[in-house]
Amino acid sequence: MDEDLESLRSRFLNKEFDEVTFELEAGRMAEYAITCGETNPKFTDPTHEDFQAPPTFVSTLVGGRQLPGDFPRPTGVGMDAGKFVEWKAPIRGDITLTGKSHLHDIYSKTGRTGLMIFLVTRMELFDGDTHVANADTRTVIREKPGG
Amino acid sequence: MADTIKDVEFGVELPNFVPDTSLENVKRFGRFVGWGGPRFTDHEAARKEGFPGALIPGVMSQGFLGAMIHRWAPGAVINSIDTIFRAPVLVDQPHTITGVVTDINEEEGTVEIDISITNEADETRVFGTATATFPKG
Repeated sequence: MDEDLESLRSRFLNKEFDEVTFELEAGRMAEYAITCGETNPKFTDPTHEDFQAPPTFVSTLVGGRQLPGDFPRPTGVGMDAGKFVEWKAPIRGDITLTGKSHLHDIYSKTGRTGLMIFLVTRMELFDGDTHVANADTRTVIREKPGG
Repeated sequence: MADTIKDVEFGVELPNFVPDTSLENVKRFGRFVGWGGPRFTDHEAARKEGFPGALIPGVMSQGFLGAMIHRWAPGAVINSIDTIFRAPVLVDQPHTITGVVTDINEEEGTVEIDISITNEADETRVFGTATATFPKG
C-alpha cells in the first residue's frame, strides 16, 4: 500500500463498492440470541409478538467483498480489529435486507510493532427503503518492515 | 435490574455475566449463524494456525456483551455498541463480562456503558462502549 493515507481517503472514502441481499430466517436470529446468552423471549422466541434480532446480530452479516476492487493490495497482514453496530430500527424475522458497503474511514496508528493502518468498512442495511442499521468492520493492517 | 432511566446510577457496575464459551456452544453458533471454521470449532486445528486453542468468533463476543446489557435492562434499546478485539477469547476457557455506567443523560433517557471481556488471569480480551436508551418511567 504505497499511496499515502490522504490519497487513499480522497479516492475511496464514502464510495459504495458492494451491494448484497440477505435472506434472514427468524430461526437464525433466535439461535444467535440463545448462543450469545440472551434470555428475553423477544430475542429468543420467533413466535413472540415483538420478536426481533438483537442489535449485534447485524455484525454477522458479511458482504460480497470487504474492500473496493481497485483498492491497493495491502502489504501487511490484515486482522479483524473490531466491530461497531448502530441500531436504527428493529429487524424482524424472515426478512430480506439489502447491505450496501463503503469505506467509512482510513487512519493510521504507530504502535510498538510499527505502523498500523485501520480500514473501516461500513455496511448500511436496508429493509426496503428503511435504513435499519449500520455494521462497521475495523480491519487493522500491520505493515511489514519496509512494506 | 434497571427498568427505567431512574433506576440507573452513574458508576454502577452491571451484574457480571459468565458467557457460555464451550466448544459445543461455539459449534452451535457456527452451525446456525456462521463462523464455523476449524479455528473456531477445533482446538487442534486452531493450534496448527498458531493460536493457543480454538477462538470465540469476534461477532459472538460482541453478542455476549449485548446480552449482558439486555439481562440487566430488559426494557432498554441498545443504540450502538463498539467493540475492540484486543486479544483472542478462547473456547472452553472461563471469561467474565463486565460493564460500568460512565454517563447518563436523563433528559434523553440514554446511558453510556464501558464494556469488557476478561479471562481468568484478569486480562482484557475485548473492550468497548455501548449506548442504550431507557424508558423514562
